Amino acid sequence: MLLFRSEDHVDRWCVDRNLPRGAVLTIDQGWKLARAWYSDRLDPDSRGRTAKEIEVIFADLRLTGPYWEAARP
Amino acid sequence: MPETSEALDGRVRLTVFERLLETGQAPSFEEAARALGVDPEKIAVSYQRLAGQHRLVLKPGTTEILMANPLSAVPTAFTVEVRGRSHFGNCIWDSLGVIAMLGNSGRVLTSCGDGCGEAMTVRIEHGVPVDGRGIIHFQVPRARWWDDIVFT
Repeated sequence: MLLFRSEDHVDRWCVDRNLPRGAVLTIDQGWKLARAWYSDRLDPDSRGRTAKEIEVIFADLRLTGPYWEAARP
Repeated sequence: MPETSEALDGRVRLTVFERLLETGQAPSFEEAARALGVDPEKIAVSYQRLAGQHRLVLKPGTTEILMANPLSAVPTAFTVEVRGRSHFGNCIWDSLGVIAMLGNSGRVLTSCGDGCGEAMTVRIEHGVPVDGRGIIHFQVPRARWWDDIVFT
């Protein structure tokens, strides 16, 4: 996950590597996702999140669509 | 009563974080064993278990820690400054995660991902991004993040 100046720079990075474009987040979305994901990481009781908890985090941030779908078991 | 593997893993994880935050270096399993007063073999197994749970990333075929997400145990293009100290994040998401983990203020120093050379800084103050320049690109679809977490 990289930071870019603009959409044009994302497109150039993808073309240069012959990779499809993925999901683009604003800084605000990225920060909220980081906070939801990592803010409890130094808590002694921190544990891995359940699949359901992860879905709630993504849904709350409106991160939906094929990119955000979990791997099929 | 013997310590459960879950309880041991919790202590190991915190020891790894403490060492990484303090020195920038991840402890070997022997160092973590000494710090915790536990048989080194148990710590090596704990490292493997935590890697299996995606709580740590080990260098392939070793028990050497590469990542304790959101922290990187090796230098990266993402320097995170929080409370006057510098750390390395694995990517922009993790770098913001380092700020979130340590408080609510700090900054990430990196450059535009396409190699154009523009230095970029993301600042968070009191839980709010203060300059919204830049966008974050997640290329690898979520379902494949852990296929090659270093590339992801």
